[in-house]
Amino acid sequence: MTTPAMTPSRLDDSPAVSKKPLGKILLPYLLVLPALVALLVGMGYPLGWQVFNSFREYGLAAQFGTASPEWVWFENYTTLLSDGTFWFILVKSIVFMAITASMTMILGIGLALLMKAVSRWARLTLQIAMLLAWAMPIVAQMTVWGWLIDKRNGVINYVLSWIPGVDLIGHDWLVNPITFYGIGSTIIVWASVPFVALSVYAALTQVSSEVKEAASLDGASGWQMLRRITMPIIRPVITILFLLQLIWDLRVYAQIRLLQDFGAGGTKYDLLGTYIYSLGIGQNQFGLASAAAMIVMFFTIGLSWYYVRQLLKEDN
Amino acid sequence: MNTKKTTGRRIGGIFALLIALVWVFPVYWMINSSFLSSATLAQLTPTWVPFGGTFNNYKTVMDPSSGFTSSLQMSVTITLLSLLFCIVFAFLGALAISRFKFRGRKSFVVAIIVIQMLPAEAMFIAQYKMISSLGLLNTVVGISIIYIATVIPFTLWMLRGFVAGVPADLEEAAMVDGCTRFGAFMRVTFPLLAPGLVASGVYAFIQVWNEFALASVLLTDESSRTLPLWLRRLSEFSNVGGYPNWGEVMAGSVLVAVPVIIFFLIVQGRMTQGMVGGAVKG
Amino acid sequence: MKKMTRGIAAFAAASAVVLAGCSSSEGETDETTSPDATNTAGGEATAAAQDVKLWLMGTDTPDELIQYLKDTYAADNGGTLTVEQIGWGDAISSLTTSLPDSANTPDVTEVGNTQAATFTTVGAFMDITDMYEELGGDDLLQGFVEAGSVGDTVYALPYYFGSRMVWYRKDLYAEGGVDVPTTLAEVTEVNASLKEQEIAGAYVPGQDWRDGISWIFANGGDIATFDGSQWASALSSDESVEGMKQWQELFTTASVASVTDDDSSAYQAINDDFLPGLPAATTMAPNWAFWSLGDLSENDEGEQVATWNDETFGAYVLPGVDGGVAPVFAGGSNIGISAATQNVEGAKQLMQIIFSDDYQLMLAENGLGPANTTFGETYAEVAAMGDLSLQAAESAKLTPAAPGWASIEEQQILEQYFAAVAEGGDVASLAVEYDEKINSLING
Repeated sequence: MTTPAMTPSRLDDSPAVSKKPLGKILLPYLLVLPALVALLVGMGYPLGWQVFNSFREYGLAAQFGTASPEWVWFENYTTLLSDGTFWFILVKSIVFMAITASMTMILGIGLALLMKAVSRWARLTLQIAMLLAWAMPIVAQMTVWGWLIDKRNGVINYVLSWIPGVDLIGHDWLVNPITFYGIGSTIIVWASVPFVALSVYAALTQVSSEVKEAASLDGASGWQMLRRITMPIIRPVITILFLLQLIWDLRVYAQIRLLQDFGAGGTKYDLLGTYIYSLGIGQNQFGLASAAAMIVMFFTIGLSWYYVRQLLKEDN
Repeated sequence: MNTKKTTGRRIGGIFALLIALVWVFPVYWMINSSFLSSATLAQLTPTWVPFGGTFNNYKTVMDPSSGFTSSLQMSVTITLLSLLFCIVFAFLGALAISRFKFRGRKSFVVAIIVIQMLPAEAMFIAQYKMISSLGLLNTVVGISIIYIATVIPFTLWMLRGFVAGVPADLEEAAMVDGCTRFGAFMRVTFPLLAPGLVASGVYAFIQVWNEFALASVLLTDESSRTLPLWLRRLSEFSNVGGYPNWGEVMAGSVLVAVPVIIFFLIVQGRMTQGMVGGAVKG
Repeated sequence: MKKMTRGIAAFAAASAVVLAGCSSSEGETDETTSPDATNTAGGEATAAAQDVKLWLMGTDTPDELIQYLKDTYAADNGGTLTVEQIGWGDAISSLTTSLPDSANTPDVTEVGNTQAATFTTVGAFMDITDMYEELGGDDLLQGFVEAGSVGDTVYALPYYFGSRMVWYRKDLYAEGGVDVPTTLAEVTEVNASLKEQEIAGAYVPGQDWRDGISWIFANGGDIATFDGSQWASALSSDESVEGMKQWQELFTTASVASVTDDDSSAYQAINDDFLPGLPAATTMAPNWAFWSLGDLSENDEGEQVATWNDETFGAYVLPGVDGGVAPVFAGGSNIGISAATQNVEGAKQLMQIIFSDDYQLMLAENGLGPANTTFGETYAEVAAMGDLSLQAAESAKLTPAAPGWASIEEQQILEQYFAAVAEGGDVASLAVEYDEKINSLING
């Protein structure tokens, strides 16, 4: 922390280090140890298995021990990378992630600003509504939405059909892949906005009113105030929230899988998570599934490389 | 100008209420449907308010044979166990990487970040093999081992921000006043970290409580099902000639959601404050 | 920490009330502590009591039958039988992980007949050729026996079957002035006429290949053929394409179901007020749909119940191209002993109970087609629509007993093919496209 920039980071932070007892030097390692052991125990073997088998053709026969898996080097990787379906699903997942995460952020920030602008009782009502939606466990969320959009007598079709000229009675939202993902995205946005809105609102409360009053006396417009004063203060919160949404929405699995249970499955309705799952347990191509997971990991690292580097730089 | 402002506020208030209504509607609909009979719910026109409703759906899904109580126990135990270890381990790790410089620190930080980008879905078979060979299939400990490892990286990363946010000078000041390093930490730093611990705890809680894919692989016994598995099974099995018995399924959803709602109401304030604290200062 | 973990483990064990005795250590203690295997019925089972685990798929086996199995097993063996119902959605993943795992495998498991080949070819089931005669021999449904065998070695035997038939509304047919069709073409004509008169239509779900496949079979087509060493998809054969074209015509001119519908609502489709808009006068479902069809009323619990009414509801077998009976999809499942079981004797005893006359009779009475065909007559008499079901079963066909078939089902390839055809795609070119997809998976 107090290290001058030119000091190699390898050195310890204090010149007095040589006088420190061994215990002090070991302390950070002891602190890291439990987490490291937990990671190794829980992830070590599965991860090793995955890396290893991404180079093998590992099918159901291998799983039952009646045939030994064949070593195929990079064949699984080349198969996937030359497969249009894999790329199609990758692109779909990225688009899904971008739209869902952006919608979540826009709505979340908008609602946080709204909470700040309205009276106490209106704010409380909104906050409680948000909290209730946020608290719904994923399986419960999806089950409820499955009932809301039920094609036979779901209430959403019923209400939408009140609009003159619209007749959605009997409409199945899960047929067309576009509306399928639209519903998935809507549900995720509905469930994630509360977290964003409440967090941004909490950040907004840290913007002191004196500063704002002073600015307004200086003749700053509402928009200018938002841009010049409010945004800089809440930007760190927004950055971290947005990053979280991106990671979560790219890895989305549960919502899509459960939505497929209500509607139809298959690659037409897959995103990366469900695709990898169906390659593995569905089609018993465990080698291929492992390779797909590895590719997705490298891809995510590539996408977030800039951010990771920033993070490491800050760290020094 | 003043009247203009109040009208603006009023319009904003009405707008806020409308949005609240939209957001809460799915939750309302779940509760409403859970009190309606299957015959009512089978009609093509919706019933908006459960007047003359019934508790039968709850009676059926809470029947001992449905396994709700054992699933609740299972979920609570797994979540508490995973949460406890995850928070303690992640907190110690976060302390190490934000307060000390040591050889291998950078690799550790990179590993923590990279692990989070690994899709979990291809590892189920390997995880099954591992847990099974340890003889821990269908047990709380078995699945918790995996959950702890899955949740630690993010929790640690999040806590790192909070720990770094508490200036070390404060501790040093206390040490000057005669406290030991540990005493200074406990008296000065730890209380300031409480919201951060709650925030990361809630995150870990959500992850573990919601997980069903790995659970469906590792917990195959009827008696070891978690709540998400229980509810998923209810919606698959509870039907009338192939058509879901929505009343029972919604009653099941309410039961699964209630513990989380209670938990959230308790920690809500601290949680969002914590989120802000960590991000602003980290 | 150690103490804590142990405490939790103890709690887990305590809450796992009926954890099946499948770990080897537990099996050993059972053998020494309960030597009271003297009251066995068959007499030949002198082995010690063993606790066994049975997996059943879905909820098709009624509770009453499950109880019977438990009671009988306890009486015959002295051990405990644990029955677990696995959801069809989790069936493949559960079987894939648990079957090879000797410490956790179910000792006996049901498996969908279409999934059986996938598991038998990789050695997941125990060779029970020596029990074949004892359990029913050639009286067992041969199509299902083949699905569960590799060459002459028998691994999994038929558990029950259900064959699909057509259910219709007598009142709606009368209103539209149409008669029960006697050829496959008439099925389309009759329902198209009803739809044109805006009275009703046929419930033909776009993804429902299990019913739609009959149109391929009826025209002499097949899903796939076996040349002695390899399976090859046959969707693009002239007969299969012809069948699909007829099915497409039925869908476009007569269906009131949508492209993404599947057969899950087919059981109730022709009940009053089930469908919004135009009602269905015709649907296809197994014979046990009898219990879901009829006049609707509310019972004391507020549950909706259907009571069969002969005046308004009826059923017939799907007619063939030139009359007679069209081959329908033979639904049902197989059952076998896990190759990894530690309780061979107990598992065999359970199989004996399942294939006993008493149990087969109970299956028949509950409308599930008994594996043993000697009970066919009883089935035709006692089961609802048993006579029609049996008639349909005689020409019913199974899906290919190919190693990769489960993958094809898991990927929902046929669902996608039928939906694409229902959407109005060109059958001939779609057939070629899906042949390729199937060929890349079908041989495992």
